[in-house]
Amino acid sequence: MIREIGQVVFNREIAKHFYEAEIIAPLISSKCKPGQFINILPSPNWKNVMRRPMSVSFQNDEKIRIIYKIVGEGTQFIGNWKVGESVDLIGPLGNYWKDWEGYFPILMGGGVGIAPILNLHYYLNSQNINHALIMGARTKAEHFLQPSQNDNIFLTTDDGSIGVKGWITNALNEFSFDPLKSKIFTCGPPLMMEAIRKLSLDKKIECDLALERLMACGFGICQGCTVEKTNKEKHQHSYRSTFALACIDGPIFSSSELVSC
Amino acid sequence: MLNVKIKDIQFNNPLLTASGTFGYGDEVKSLTDLSKLGGIVTKSVTLDPREGNPPPRIYETTSGMLNSIGLANVGIDTYCKQKLPFLNSLDTKIIINIAGSSLDEYVKVLEKLEESNGVHVGYEINISCPNVKKGGMQFGVDCLMTEQLTKRLREKTDKLLIMKLSPNVTSIQEIAKASENGGADAVSAINTLVGAGIDINTRKPVLNTTFGGLSGPAIKPIAIANILKISKAVSIPIIGIGGISNYKDVIEFILAGATMIQLGTINFSQPQRNEEILVQLKKWLNEKNISQIMDLKGAVECYS
Repeated sequence: MIREIGQVVFNREIAKHFYEAEIIAPLISSKCKPGQFINILPSPNWKNVMRRPMSVSFQNDEKIRIIYKIVGEGTQFIGNWKVGESVDLIGPLGNYWKDWEGYFPILMGGGVGIAPILNLHYYLNSQNINHALIMGARTKAEHFLQPSQNDNIFLTTDDGSIGVKGWITNALNEFSFDPLKSKIFTCGPPLMMEAIRKLSLDKKIECDLALERLMACGFGICQGCTVEKTNKEKHQHSYRSTFALACIDGPIFSSSELVSC
Repeated sequence: MLNVKIKDIQFNNPLLTASGTFGYGDEVKSLTDLSKLGGIVTKSVTLDPREGNPPPRIYETTSGMLNSIGLANVGIDTYCKQKLPFLNSLDTKIIINIAGSSLDEYVKVLEKLEESNGVHVGYEINISCPNVKKGGMQFGVDCLMTEQLTKRLREKTDKLLIMKLSPNVTSIQEIAKASENGGADAVSAINTLVGAGIDINTRKPVLNTTFGGLSGPAIKPIAIANILKISKAVSIPIIGIGGISNYKDVIEFILAGATMIQLGTINFSQPQRNEEILVQLKKWLNEKNISQIMDLKGAVECYS
């Protein structure tokens, strides 16, 4: 974890409501692993007290990318980042995707939750690891990936305007996989992830989920980004066994250890 | 120029970190040079480990935040085993914040720390946490209980004893006086203000516990008012807390009567801010031809 002043390379719209920014940040990029996130100061003039955590969607030795929608004050500032602008980042933060060995990885991203999923997709491609990638969005206009049966890339939309209509889980019928030899890696809206979590428990599919939580710091000191765990071994007195922290114990948890998404 | 003294303890500068906003130091070591700080006040430690409150625990407000963490911490035994060795290795002063749900619990935790190999210079006693049902605030709103607790702890330690005061009282001066009468070396103020928020779509409170503690720049004027009041009431040093985020805020607190200050909520977004403040403080003092920052202590010139 380090604080690094990065420089914006581009900041562009990649689909309806979806934006992607690329930042030169070699210190963070060279240490980052797929699934990790950065905590962003949206502007030097930021008057609020919290940074904005965002997953890294792409990385090489020099640069990182983020994918975001403009939903509030923080992302409005980020949406106004100009090419060459300096941006204040802390990262890489949190745990990362792992333990796909021996499994067929099924990657499922919904909305801007696609970001950490894409980073894993690129990594698995670089290692020639066969896997499936499913992205869910509301409409065709929000999609920026090309579907490809050959490459196991599937899209879903709420309205059926492209790809499979309905829930992202409907895409699991589009290809064959052995549930006991597959593992789901997912990130997206809470309702989507909760549906995937329940499905993974029902069908006994291994499943890791990256959760989003409000965070003040991102590195374990504010203790605000609480995630409730099942905590089967309850002690009378414990710390972070029931209420884990998304920033340092996560953001990635397995479906069986969560009470809900 | 920036050094300050409380009792017999010399601090290199007046900047401390507020409890609960800097962990136990080790979490932040890669983000800022810990040796530059005047000192670190560690996260509240209790006798037993605590999970804290259910989510949601935090919420962003205009220039501030609400929190209801509920004193989540590792407990005193793990603290002594796992946290003290790192704190002992640091080239800065350590003040350990203690919370408890009974008089005996405070005393037991302090005794364990007195018996430990910690090189901490003192204790800050949390009698003002608004986020737990039992623990702290019943002491901090009651003069008699504050004085009794201070006395009991005073008997057990010669290290710095600082009582952390709540603004959620009718008269913070009276609680400060009770701390002074009990033998405290200093008081720190203010802890968070009780606040709440409601999500208009879900109609749910923004915090699981409904009420939480408000911190950040939004509370700075309230903190300054409280420092002014306390400084008239007691002669022991005051450690100012409340929304401090830049060097001007530090000067303002010292003018109001503070000897030291604590950086709190700012650490979450700008953990390196203490270093920036020190540079700017020195520059400002030089420009104003002020040789010692303590020359400014209580130097506010109120309208008659």
